Amino acid sequence: MSSRKTRALLGWAYLLPYATLFVLFVLVPIVVAAYLAVMQFDLTSPRSAGFVGFRNFVDAWKDEYLQRAFVVTAKFAAMMVPSLVVTAFALALGLNAMPRGRNTVRALVFLPTMFTVAVTGILWQWFYNLEFGLFNFILRNLGLAPVPWLSDKNIAMPSIVLMSLWWTSGGTAVILLAGLQNIPRMFHEAAALDGADGWRGFWSVTFPLLRPVVLFVVVTNLIGAFQFFPQAQLLTGGGPELATRGVVQYIYETAFNGYRLGYAAAMSWMLAAVVAVFGFLQFWLMRKEAS
Amino acid sequence: MRIRQALYGLLATILAILVVRSGWIGAVRGRPQTEISFWNGFTGPDGRVMLELIRRFNRENPDLKVSMQRIAWGTYYNKLMVAAVNGRGPHVFVIHASALPRMHRAGFLEPMDSLYREGGVPEEDFEPIVLRTTEFDGHRVGVPLDIHPQGLYCNTDMLREAGIVDERGRPKPPTNREEFLRAASLMMHPRGAANPDRYGFALTHWQNNYQSVFPQFGGRYLDERGNADLDNPGNVEALEFLGRLRTEKRLIPPPDNQLGWIGFRQKKVGMVFDGVYMLGDLKRLEGLHYVGAPMPVLGHKPGTMADSHILCMRKGLSERERDGVARFIRFLSENSLDWAEAGQVPARRSVRNTDRFRSMQVQHAFSKQIPHMVYPPRIVPLFEMGLEINLAVERVIRGRMGAKESLRIADENAQKAIDRDRAESQAPGGGR
Repeated sequence: MSSRKTRALLGWAYLLPYATLFVLFVLVPIVVAAYLAVMQFDLTSPRSAGFVGFRNFVDAWKDEYLQRAFVVTAKFAAMMVPSLVVTAFALALGLNAMPRGRNTVRALVFLPTMFTVAVTGILWQWFYNLEFGLFNFILRNLGLAPVPWLSDKNIAMPSIVLMSLWWTSGGTAVILLAGLQNIPRMFHEAAALDGADGWRGFWSVTFPLLRPVVLFVVVTNLIGAFQFFPQAQLLTGGGPELATRGVVQYIYETAFNGYRLGYAAAMSWMLAAVVAVFGFLQFWLMRKEAS
Repeated sequence: MRIRQALYGLLATILAILVVRSGWIGAVRGRPQTEISFWNGFTGPDGRVMLELIRRFNRENPDLKVSMQRIAWGTYYNKLMVAAVNGRGPHVFVIHASALPRMHRAGFLEPMDSLYREGGVPEEDFEPIVLRTTEFDGHRVGVPLDIHPQGLYCNTDMLREAGIVDERGRPKPPTNREEFLRAASLMMHPRGAANPDRYGFALTHWQNNYQSVFPQFGGRYLDERGNADLDNPGNVEALEFLGRLRTEKRLIPPPDNQLGWIGFRQKKVGMVFDGVYMLGDLKRLEGLHYVGAPMPVLGHKPGTMADSHILCMRKGLSERERDGVARFIRFLSENSLDWAEAGQVPARRSVRNTDRFRSMQVQHAFSKQIPHMVYPPRIVPLFEMGLEINLAVERVIRGRMGAKESLRIADENAQKAIDRDRAESQAPGGGR
């Protein structure tokens, strides 16, 4: 066998474990979900299963709870993505400016990202506990009234965003830091010679050169925000009064509490379509950026 | 040489494991062991009691081996449903009476009429209301293990401090609306002064608390035709009563404080409504003195909400497995007095009529409500209806909406779910 063929075979062999898992746990479920989406398929009445065409989609379009869940998800995305970008940017700029100890601080900043969402959720449940949580303990010691972090309709969502920020901003900051460090020093030096340092230098040199990275960060986090589920499930269960029940949670409840798999699959495809729009937007903007 | 010895040793170990695992030894002795898998959601202290019962059963029945799988109730039904619909479910499992309609329609529950007829489980030993929850199309699909009604827990120290005692100086839980309101108020202001950190009464699970109260006002879930009737006058009156506890009387903590049960554990709340199964949690506490009592009559008649753990068998078992499961179910049913210790009321009358059960204060007190219990409705879209009830109660307790309007919305949405379910279950790909 020629060495080229051997190399090709070796390449496939390396790919095989991942490809197998990808096919089993990504491709097959996508195909099954597409099939289910055009079926009436309820686990509680398997005998009445049958093809219904696009009826699940039509019903989902008119479903007030799904509309409300989309609003909640959009609200989360609108609060989360800008605050994440700003926080991560601030962290990245701070880290970039550090003359020494950067690696240690970077590791510490990145640490929460390594926790699973379950650990993070349980931890923050205790922080937010009305009676004996850390935050209200601090507020009480400052002589302030305790805050119903998770049980007030208007505060619950910002509370979830705050937890999500703590959990994810380290990872995003590291990406932005890598981008910052890739900017050749000579650009900053040239700008400084022209008198553009500080704030002006940031807007005229740093930010434009970092735009592709920022774009990547914004779009990937936007896509992530539309998959908003575990944080709310762990902290509020979607309450109070459904104020934090996003689309994924509604899909989950429809599928696994109501056992309506067909309808849930149709809603999943609708969510996938929304996410795909942002995905295409990213490709389009990045291609435009590159050209 | 050493390597060869090690290899022989390894081979011998593997062979020994294979022989033991295959049940060959039992077969040679003429007693092949039948493995029975048992799933339930008893992940708390109740799980330890159940485990002890299973160990005893396994000791007394060497030809059977029951192994228990405990899964948190939150995901239990998802896993059970998916496994059982595909014919891979456990041999025997626990289902709440309220979940039986869904599981029955999914088609994996084995009728168990013969167990009642000739299997040593006497039908007449069960309350008709409990037994009825297991009946579908003229067949019984399970054996009730227990009953868990909602009831009243009272902190006896707080009752005594508030002067709510009987003629012999013993703390006296309230039995009617007047006594309840008086107790709630007195425990909140024990010496005439308000204590912002202390309440005579607090809600725990709002939805359950409400459902425990509305039967007393003549409320119901469904009308005679099986349609949603969540906004009937009894339900509205009950919810108005609960809402007023906060909005007018200021007798319960603000709605943002949802720590009723924790408050009771911390001796900051004098009374709560909750299920008998919460007893296991209280038993672990030291220094908290409490009693259980039937729900006070806040409406026009006694009543409360209840549910039951039902022991069910999967379809498609072999004759030997069916026999083993039947023996196991009979064992649990006959020994449900031990199970009662975990914080349950046994389903069997003969078990409840024992001195040992009467000595279980909370369980015995809660069991007095059996004649007035109401089970959740026997409908498949119960999750959807529960969600609507929950939202309706939340809107009222938070003072955002009146009870009538809130329940009207809940009723309308619950009816939509019922209509959709009816249409879908009637014909393949049925209309919506």
